[in-house]
Amino acid sequence: MLPLSLLRTGQGHQIMVELKNGETYNGYLINCDNWMNINLRNVIRTSKDSDKFWKIQSCYIRGNTIKYISVPDEIIDLVVEEEQISRPHNLSKGDNTTGRGRGRGDSNRGGRGGSTDGRGGGGAGRGRGGDSGRGRGDFSNRGGRGGRGRGDFSNRGGRGGPFQNNTA
Amino acid sequence: MASSFNASKKESILDLQRFLGKEICVKFTGGREVQGILKGYDQLVNITLDQTKEFIRDPIDPLIVTDETRFLGLVVCRGSSVMMVCPTEGFETIDNPY
Amino acid sequence: MSGNSGLGDEVDKKLIVVLRDGRKFIGMMRTFDQFANIVLQDTIERIYVGDCYSDKNLGVFFIRGDNVVILGEIDPDREVQEKKLKKVSWDEITKAAALEKQKKEEEELLKRKIMTESGLTIDSILNIDDF
Repeated sequence: MLPLSLLRTGQGHQIMVELKNGETYNGYLINCDNWMNINLRNVIRTSKDSDKFWKIQSCYIRGNTIKYISVPDEIIDLVVEEEQISRPHNLSKGDNTTGRGRGRGDSNRGGRGGSTDGRGGGGAGRGRGGDSGRGRGDFSNRGGRGGRGRGDFSNRGGRGGPFQNNTA
Repeated sequence: MASSFNASKKESILDLQRFLGKEICVKFTGGREVQGILKGYDQLVNITLDQTKEFIRDPIDPLIVTDETRFLGLVVCRGSSVMMVCPTEGFETIDNPY
Repeated sequence: MSGNSGLGDEVDKKLIVVLRDGRKFIGMMRTFDQFANIVLQDTIERIYVGDCYSDKNLGVFFIRGDNVVILGEIDPDREVQEKKLKKVSWDEITKAAALEKQKKEEEELLKRKIMTESGLTIDSILNIDDF
């Protein structure tokens, strides 16, 4: 479970957003994106010193101005449920056991490398996937942290070719 | 879910289409606040506003935004400094609701 | 490994998070990502003034990573015991904190005045994010 998937689950719920400047926005979360930009509806905006208040029908807030967001307690449970629902579906797509491989490179395709005796090539390239993919496991044993790929530093995929000579 | 996820990657979740020709209020990082008629926009949330007026801030305490305005006319707002966008319709100051 | 993988060990532990504005949140960290955005559960905001403190319950809290200054493991009860902190009401503590802040601001202003008088210019106290 990533923080942003929690936010995505919070769509349709009432949240409180505090911006870096101290203003708070209280309203229903309509949608959000990967940059944490959010759309709110039925908003009450409160000034930094909580001495002025505004009512706003709907508003868009750029993600990078957000300080924090307060979310209803039940959302955490909802995320867990949602992920359990989406799990069997994902499992049927591949043979990995931690769910959600997210593709991008399988075990024998390193980034740009090419020749097998170069620095790139086989092994763990950049791929996210395989069985340590960005799994979304249960809440309890959390698949998430396993992978995120990028492979070992030592055999980082990419740039085979001319570099071989230099390293040899 | 996957499709909406991808869609949000390409374009902004901000639906400015419905505000075209209407008056909107824009807050910027750095504290400026303007109001104007939306003439156009792009996927980076760069915005063009017409008949724009800027709210003047208190010269002593720039955190205070006054009711005083100055007229700017046609302006282009750079997306990266846009902090908040909302329609002026249904935007009002209220008493403490808490 | 990715940048914040070190946080992996802190998952499901009680953490104190100090933000850039000085506020402190304590809660169980449930998840994080590569930007150090974090989700706290059963969060409390804690304010300290001198040897007094007060807590406010906030529930589930999503904190954007770029505001985070410090993340640290904490046992909020043990801290209170060991430092012999006295619990006061939220109202009291916010008032005390406001007073303390005002005092600091006055000191800061005086400092700035002295420095400008001796020919030193200082950047604005206000940060671009303060607006």
